[in-house]
Amino acid sequence: MRLTTGLHGYVVLRFSSGLEIRLHNLICAMILMMVAVVGGVALLTTGSTDSTFSDLVGLFDGDAVSGDVAFAIADVRLPRILMGFMAGWCVALTGAMLQSLAQNPLADPGLLGLSQGSLVVIMLVLVLFPGLPLIFTPLAGFAGGLAVAVLLMVLVGRHHSGGLGILLMGIAVETTLSSVTSILILYAPPEQSHAISSWLAGSLFHSDWSAVGSFAAWFVISIPAILVIGRKLRSLDLGDHMALALGEAVHITKPVILIVAVLLTAAATAAVGPLVFLGVMAPHLAWFISPAKGRARLFLAAMTGGFLVVAADGLTRLGSDQVALPTGLAIMMIGAPIFIISLRLRTISQARTG
Amino acid sequence: MHKLFLTLALIVASGLAHAQSHDVQDDRGRTVPMPDTPERIVVLQEPLLGIPILELGLDIVGSYGRNDDGSSMLRVDFIKTVLGKDGADLGISGIGPLGNIDLEKLSALKPDLIIGGESDADKADILSSVAPVYLKNIRTPDITGFSTQQKLADLLGVSDRFDALMADYKSQLDDVRAKLPDPPNGKTYLAVIIYDQINVVSNMSGVIQAIEDLGYRRADLQGSGKASGYGQGFAVPLSSEQFARLNPDILIIMNSYVSADRGQAAIRDRLNAIVPGWDRFLRPHKEGRVLYLDSVAVTTPTVASARHTLDAIEAWATSK
Repeated sequence: MRLTTGLHGYVVLRFSSGLEIRLHNLICAMILMMVAVVGGVALLTTGSTDSTFSDLVGLFDGDAVSGDVAFAIADVRLPRILMGFMAGWCVALTGAMLQSLAQNPLADPGLLGLSQGSLVVIMLVLVLFPGLPLIFTPLAGFAGGLAVAVLLMVLVGRHHSGGLGILLMGIAVETTLSSVTSILILYAPPEQSHAISSWLAGSLFHSDWSAVGSFAAWFVISIPAILVIGRKLRSLDLGDHMALALGEAVHITKPVILIVAVLLTAAATAAVGPLVFLGVMAPHLAWFISPAKGRARLFLAAMTGGFLVVAADGLTRLGSDQVALPTGLAIMMIGAPIFIISLRLRTISQARTG
Repeated sequence: MHKLFLTLALIVASGLAHAQSHDVQDDRGRTVPMPDTPERIVVLQEPLLGIPILELGLDIVGSYGRNDDGSSMLRVDFIKTVLGKDGADLGISGIGPLGNIDLEKLSALKPDLIIGGESDADKADILSSVAPVYLKNIRTPDITGFSTQQKLADLLGVSDRFDALMADYKSQLDDVRAKLPDPPNGKTYLAVIIYDQINVVSNMSGVIQAIEDLGYRRADLQGSGKASGYGQGFAVPLSSEQFARLNPDILIIMNSYVSADRGQAAIRDRLNAIVPGWDRFLRPHKEGRVLYLDSVAVTTPTVASARHTLDAIEAWATSK
């Protein structure tokens, strides 16, 4: 392993196997990880129950800690932080994949209707088959998301699968499915209607250890997905024709990437509800932090998404005692201003260099 | 010998622990390990569960919709209006803002029982990590009058207190019936509550129980029924045209309980906005057969709300 300068002029860490990691990307990733860890630890020690860092250390060391503190840290805060990070990771990763796939910087599982498709099928299952074990919920979401993806491909056609066309069609499909969601909420039994309404805004309330365990399987899938798909996306980012010319089997790769994206979206939607706009924001924020490509881009986007959701959950838990802040709204409150500033700075930077 | 005593003590203790709770099935079919004498109850629906429990003389330590200092998060305070008590003085604490239960605050209250309604079914699993959760149907069509309070009394082992409340209530019923200008038998009533539109109040409240126990029967509504879209529930929408044609022997009108002003003047103003000129052609109004009630005081499914209704009817009857 050694530091050297790549052909592109950037400093890279080159491994004996030939793997290269741009040093800037690596440093940014490490900083993001440290911020996420420090933020997570800070949030573990903050809440309605007074707790300190030494309580946290004592809990993990097996020392005697009061029951209230142990419950707050181990049963409330830690599962929420882990679930929030994993869900944000998956949604942001999906957004980054879809943006490359659709060659559209605004592609997002929500805007393309994938989240809404997952949502509608999950809601139909909850209303029509309330006794079905929860393990089937992500599968139902997957079926819904996949159906929307196929519908989009059919409506848009192969030759217009990038650019504005797919985005507009996605918005149209998403709007139609939103009306279906509204009808379901209106006519569902009141107890289900209440539950669905609160879940629609995004919520980490139901994050206990069994939910974390169930979702962890999907999170684990995302790791090899980053490694495999990230490499493919470097070619796909250049366009279908160039990717074909570089030997990429586009007709296989794109559907596989779409399936993975739908899987991760469905799992995240089933676990915490739709996290609107996170899939758009996080990749752009990651790009602002470090303009990466391929695996590095996916990893940084996923880290950013995970961090945003954890921060949003902190805002939700520690916010006003009077007003409940849904997790989805908290994500927007934190991410949107940073997103706007990053876009503005990028525009200024491009104007200067252009 | 020491180990033998310890073993015996553990066996006895485990038996005693088991004897302190018993399994019951809640209204959603869930098996709940119910404490034999719950002493630290948290309610998730204050008007429909908390008020009935408090009137039965039991304590609640937490209520969804209360601040940590015991004051109400909402503009209305059901405990104060219905029972004349202060939530802070009763030691009732909050469990987080509406829409976001704080599990840490809930756990800090050390509840031994959490009681919720059917709409809290989605939260039951996660709340069970703090205390047993009993889900009681509170808005389903089978819920009428005092049935919620009676079932809670049976569940919590205070049926005798409910019987005592009913005895006092029946005594007041007889008193008020005697003061009515006309015998209520065969007479009709209708109760409406004004949200953004006028709604007919169904039979899930103290006010309806009281008026029907007096002897009035619900007036038939032309075109009511599932096919007409009137639906079911606490408040069923009524069109302005229908309202103008209402002519029961006694018409009860209430303002929404989220209104800052629920007095007669405010009710009349709301009606003026929805049904302009109503006071010129609504026969019960012209003939002095309208009763304006405070919805907060009379709509909980409790004996207390029914007795507030009887107080208002008595005052109206005396004024005629």
